[in-house]
Amino acid sequence: MSEVFDEVIRTTLVEVGARFQDFVPNLLAMLVLLTVGILAAVAIRFTVGLLLRWLAFDRFSEQTGIRTVLQKGGIRAAPSRVLALTLAWLALAVFVLLAVAALDLTAAVDLVNKAFAYLPNLLVAGALFLLGTIVSGFVRRSVLIAAVNAGVPSARLLARGAQAALLVLFAAMALEHLGLGRQVILSSFTILFGGVVFALALAFGLAGRDIAKETLERMRSQRRPEDDSLKHL
Amino acid sequence: MKKGKVPLEPHVRKQLEDLGSVELLVGIPSYNNADTIGHVVRAAAAGLAKYFPGRSAVIVNSDGGSSDGTAEVVAKAELSSPGAILVSHPVSTVQKIVTPYHGIPGKGSAFRTVFAIAEELQAKACAVVDSDLRSVTPEWFELLLGPIVAQDFDYVAPMYLRHKYDGTITNSIVYPLTRALYGREVRQPIGGEFGFSGRLAAHYLARPVWETDVARFGIDIWMTTTAIADGFKVCEGFLGAKIHDPKDPGADLAAMLVQVVSAVFDLMETYEDRWKEVQGAEDVPLFGFPHEVGLEPVRVNVGRMIGIFRQGVRDLGEVWAQALDEKTLAEVSALGTEEEDSFHFPDRLWVRVIYDYALAYRRRALPREQLLRALVPLYLGRTASFVSQNMDSGAEAVEGSIRALADEFVREKGYLCERWE
Repeated sequence: MSEVFDEVIRTTLVEVGARFQDFVPNLLAMLVLLTVGILAAVAIRFTVGLLLRWLAFDRFSEQTGIRTVLQKGGIRAAPSRVLALTLAWLALAVFVLLAVAALDLTAAVDLVNKAFAYLPNLLVAGALFLLGTIVSGFVRRSVLIAAVNAGVPSARLLARGAQAALLVLFAAMALEHLGLGRQVILSSFTILFGGVVFALALAFGLAGRDIAKETLERMRSQRRPEDDSLKHL
Repeated sequence: MKKGKVPLEPHVRKQLEDLGSVELLVGIPSYNNADTIGHVVRAAAAGLAKYFPGRSAVIVNSDGGSSDGTAEVVAKAELSSPGAILVSHPVSTVQKIVTPYHGIPGKGSAFRTVFAIAEELQAKACAVVDSDLRSVTPEWFELLLGPIVAQDFDYVAPMYLRHKYDGTITNSIVYPLTRALYGREVRQPIGGEFGFSGRLAAHYLARPVWETDVARFGIDIWMTTTAIADGFKVCEGFLGAKIHDPKDPGADLAAMLVQVVSAVFDLMETYEDRWKEVQGAEDVPLFGFPHEVGLEPVRVNVGRMIGIFRQGVRDLGEVWAQALDEKTLAEVSALGTEEEDSFHFPDRLWVRVIYDYALAYRRRALPREQLLRALVPLYLGRTASFVSQNMDSGAEAVEGSIRALADEFVREKGYLCERWE
């Protein structure tokens, strides 16, 4: 009985050992790929950063308005740093996927294949979200300035409303690209947007009837030509 | 497009060949000004005949594609009205050229065609006047052309009599800033009517600006600044009151401010090597006879202006923080709590605001249009303060306070120069 037991254990250990021996190169390859990936990312970050600074990319960004666009999206770091970091993270992501593939496990290979197939969608969604952030930030500021110049009392609220509407629109587009519950997102967006507009119209027309009247009268009086005949030029 | 490449219609080329050369040229840019341009053309013809008899002259109408018959009015305008010139001896006939201009639509492109024709005709002295003027008289042309013909000046800027509240962008930004930067006392740098020599017209034509914003707007300040900064002889001509067709009442103040201020700031970049060297400011000779005239009253809603300024303080802090120095912003913010009766925007603070804005414009702290549109509440605050301060003052005292502001711009110039780099 004990011999049979020993045999089973020995066989199991031998098999595990053999499998581990087969797996070690893959594991080592994964670790090597991860290490190379980290080193490559660091190298890319520094090299690209240096190269962009040498090429005066930050000055170019200021002159062409790229920096302003980033600032409008809430990104305060220098454009050269942002680009270098983005490229470094992209490189690291690719190496991580390669490292996972190096394990040669069916599930891992499958995961990597799916990840690479899904990557374009992720990139497009990310780009859409970034664009949405930038555009909505720009629109918010434009609406705010225009509303203040026109003397609209709730300028900030109006500006934030415009920004939120755009953000929701871009987020819906991004999620659509990711294929996440397309119909649900579309329906949610339609219902939400329609509901908000309807609620605002009701609130302004019924609950805020007096305010609406007062605001419209004030706007009309501000436009009355006899009120101001100053020539600015 | 460079010198000599200005496209001209074949019939205009033919007219230029027939004319050969002229001594004097009057340019009138137009766009749908059929109601007023006839009067301007007749005044120009009378002025040329009365004050420059015997000199060959041409009137050039550079039109932007009017659809109201402007060109026909010019073509049919009677140029030899003896009653207008009160002379009995024969005078040279004034010729007319009516031409559409090509290029980017705008007053700058219209002027470019005038410069090109002046160069082709080797004109010695030229004048340009707006086509919507109702107060133009023959004397204007003597004052715009005379200093060039008789005294060898290159550029004559106009000097008008205006209501004490009128021209606030000119009075609070363009005049004092131009004076401080380039060191010449030109009171109306964006007047609209100018005289210039043939050599200055050629200089203008050769500048590589005709595909830029100068072709659309800002030609007035560009001409004045170029003449001063490039060392041409500059003077002023006193034209009296300027009355023109009322502008569109819905004309957007923000758009106006953006156009004018961006033109001035762009020129600061072009001429940075020149203005940094300039210290103080000198008067330029004034031709004409300054006199008083009755001016239409101007209504100003100070409360509305202060209201918009206060709202700016409340809502635009994040935008102004991108443009203004920390200390300037703090002082501006403190004004937001002042009572309307005691509201006062000090000269020095206003100068700092404009200099900070020039610096922010240069470093593109924000998209330039947004940046300048956000200047509107600050400008209205300053204008409200100016109006309140001068409510009971006479014209002379108001002119004195504008001059005091201009001197403040000169005193604070070091602040701008230090931070420009």
